[in-house]
Amino acid sequence: MSNKAARNLFIFGSLFFFVIFLGLTFDTMKQIDGRAPEVTKEVDDGKQVWHKYDCIGCHTILGNGSYFAPDMTKVVEKKPAGYLKKFLMDPKSTNKNATMPKLGLSSKEADDMIAFLTWISKIDTNGWPPKPILAQAAGVGGAQQTRGQQVYQSQGCSNCHSINGIGGTSGPDLTKVGAAGKDAEWHMKHLKDPNSLVPGSAMPPYPSLSDSDLKELAAYLVSLK
Amino acid sequence: MTIKYQSQKIAQYFYTFAIILFAVQVLVGLVAAIQFLKPDIAILSFATIRTLHINALVVWLLAGLMGATYYVVPEESETELWNYPIALFQFWATVVAVTAVVVGYIVMGIFPQANISVLGTLVLNEGREYIEAPRWADVLIVVSVLLFLFNMFMTMLKTKKWTAIQGVLLTGLVFLALMYLPGMFYSKNMVKDQFWWWWVIHLWVEGSWEVIAGALLAFMLMKTIGAKREVLEKWMYIEVGLVLFTGILGTGHHYYFIGTPKYWWWVGGFFSSLEPVPLLLMVWDAFRTTREARNVTNKVGLFYTVAHAIFNFVGAGLWGVIHTLPQVNQWTHGTQITTAHGHLAFYGAYVLLIMAMIYVTLPSMRGVKEFKTSRAYQAFWWMTISMVFIVLTITGAGMVQVYMERLMGLDYVAVKANYNLWFWIIRAIFGVGFLVGTLIFVYDYFRLGKDQGLQKT
Ligand code: HEC
Ligand code: HEC
Ligand code: HEM
Ligand code: HEM
Ligand SMILES: [Fe+2]
Repeated sequence: MSNKAARNLFIFGSLFFFVIFLGLTFDTMKQIDGRAPEVTKEVDDGKQVWHKYDCIGCHTILGNGSYFAPDMTKVVEKKPAGYLKKFLMDPKSTNKNATMPKLGLSSKEADDMIAFLTWISKIDTNGWPPKPILAQAAGVGGAQQTRGQQVYQSQGCSNCHSINGIGGTSGPDLTKVGAAGKDAEWHMKHLKDPNSLVPGSAMPPYPSLSDSDLKELAAYLVSLK
Repeated sequence: MTIKYQSQKIAQYFYTFAIILFAVQVLVGLVAAIQFLKPDIAILSFATIRTLHINALVVWLLAGLMGATYYVVPEESETELWNYPIALFQFWATVVAVTAVVVGYIVMGIFPQANISVLGTLVLNEGREYIEAPRWADVLIVVSVLLFLFNMFMTMLKTKKWTAIQGVLLTGLVFLALMYLPGMFYSKNMVKDQFWWWWVIHLWVEGSWEVIAGALLAFMLMKTIGAKREVLEKWMYIEVGLVLFTGILGTGHHYYFIGTPKYWWWVGGFFSSLEPVPLLLMVWDAFRTTREARNVTNKVGLFYTVAHAIFNFVGAGLWGVIHTLPQVNQWTHGTQITTAHGHLAFYGAYVLLIMAMIYVTLPSMRGVKEFKTSRAYQAFWWMTISMVFIVLTITGAGMVQVYMERLMGLDYVAVKANYNLWFWIIRAIFGVGFLVGTLIFVYDYFRLGKDQGLQKT
């Protein structure tokens, strides 16, 4: 191949691929709006709060960003808005182990942020993040569960609490919660209305749990020693 | 060896600025690594420290590329620079703008509320990774780059010697400047925001910058061993051609999971898997030319050139291709695997490239034929061994993270705090080793050609 032929190949080949890329970009732009809910004013305001505090400097969102803190794509599916709002405005008061700094979000900024994160969670991401396959595989052959354990799971307590290393870190570890001297009575009251026992608690209340479920759950918690 | 054209000396201003920022970058990188263990170690939070780390990196590499270009174009055009004062002005304007941006980041880090929005754009920090620089700074950067490009084109027009090397070099630089623009507007839709953001990031490092690297590789092989221009230039065209054929559509490897259509799985997966091919070709090119070499005029320069070619392939090519298929990437996306790749790719492809250019061009600017080379080798080994271990450590952390968090469903914070603790400690230790190498290099840069009783090269 002569140098001139190599040069022409470089120039025209690159242009060729760039044109295809532009075509795909054009098509993608048309499709994107249909793959997520409409962007409301709150969502856009929330996005601006995201940029203002440089949340991407620690977190990823849609898997892109920094790897110092958890991904934000599906966080609203795991944590209720009431909890998130408290956390965003003052992380340490919500979770004493938190290392995220208190950035000074106002109440409105926190609401907008939650609207933004809710919008993000509804984007069609082609299935990302995938469900943890090993956890699912292990669940199939798992041991018989008590009613209390079942309630614990179905209510998503493990999104915030962990037992024997499994579960979230937003709330206190419950591995030995039964050894803390709190009886079933206390737990039932706490579950119904955490604020009545722990003022300012960021744990969501569970007022609609049936009495029997509440009893079983409390018994399970007391048994954790 | 002396330079042919006095105005080439402008390159040294850019090199010096680049090297100072390099030292800053590595220092704050080490702080960031320690913050994985003790988040409150510095007044500034991790977010600010990391922003400084990656922005210092990008800016010093750009400054290095500009310096290198100021050296190459007069040489290839066989004439003095078109306008030296403009070049000097462009340099100082860049320094002032960059300093202002850095001060802005620090202010924002201490008083987040100071990052107010004026006319719809944030004044201190745009809050988008790598392109955190606020809009007013973007405009200054564009003006600076335009001045620079204009000066280069006018220089070429003086003699109208369009060598292939400078043609490709300038094509890469124009492409680089153009690809900055998609990052300069606001999208309400986060998916579109990230879509265009990747145009900047990906089409820089896997498009325009690699084109520039291809041109500089040919230049350095010619300078250090007097390889034949004809042959070098032909392979250069083929290499940079393949870079763009695979790299442009390879952008799709960032469009798997961000809310973009699924056909990107095919487009991105296919083309990005081929991206290592031109990088491997560059390695082969470097070895082939070296084997044929009769007289090596600058051994250290050649050493760094070949090292750049190899680590470009390993860091970008190999560490990139392992997680580029959608079926793999869905598990590794946004984990420490990405960090491992990011570090080895940037180090191999661009840090070593700029260092190689400095060792190839600096001796003649300092007016020496021979210089003491021991420090250059020491710096290389300190840095490279440390970097390889940092990358292996973080690849390990990434594998644990993928297994524990993504496959088993454990909590992110628990994995980071418990299972990966030792990886963070080891990274920090090798970070110190990297800093030692950096400081040797900084010292060597200022001392090069000034030692007493010069050794033979
Ligand atoms: C300096 C780093 C840093 C910055 C900046 C930061 N975060 Fe965080 N964030 C963390 C860390 C670390 C965690 C994990 C929990 C912890 O240790 O606090 C976290 C946790 C969270 C959580 C999950 C809380 C939970 O209990 O599940 C949310 C939601 C969150 N951050 C949102 C944000 C938003 C929104 C911003 C920007 C306004 C932001 N973060 C900025 C570091 C940061
Ligand atoms: C959104 C996060 C969140 C969810 C979901 C959640 N909790 Fe909590 N939980 C907390 C926080 C924060 C605290 C600490 C404040 C307090 O004690 O009320 C807490 C405290 C507790 C305590 C007291 C621990 C102690 O050592 O004093 C128990 C027990 C508990 N939660 C059980 C549960 C159970 C059972 C569920 C599910 C029905 C649940 N939590 C769901 C966040 C959560
Ligand atoms: C010199 C060239 C390259 C450099 C400097 C580079 C650098 C980077 C960096 C810094 C990131 C992280 C971006 C972020 O912060 O979000 C990244 C991501 C990525 N790179 Fe590269 N890269 C290069 C070449 C390649 C090549 C050739 C491939 C594939 C063959 C590749 C595949 C990827 C993939 C798949 C990701 C996404 C990771 C994720 O999903 O989290 N890269 N690259
Ligand atoms: C020249 C050498 C270096 C280069 C080219 C480089 C490059 C980068 C890049 C591109 C990023 C952002 C993207 C990513 O996380 O993948 C980054 C982040 C980071 N770097 Fe470096 N870096 C270098 C040296 C160092 C050193 C010596 C350390 C300290 C040990 C370090 C520590 C970090 C840390 C902790 C992060 C944040 C990663 C995260 O978000 O989890 N870097 N660096
Ligand atoms: Fe890429």
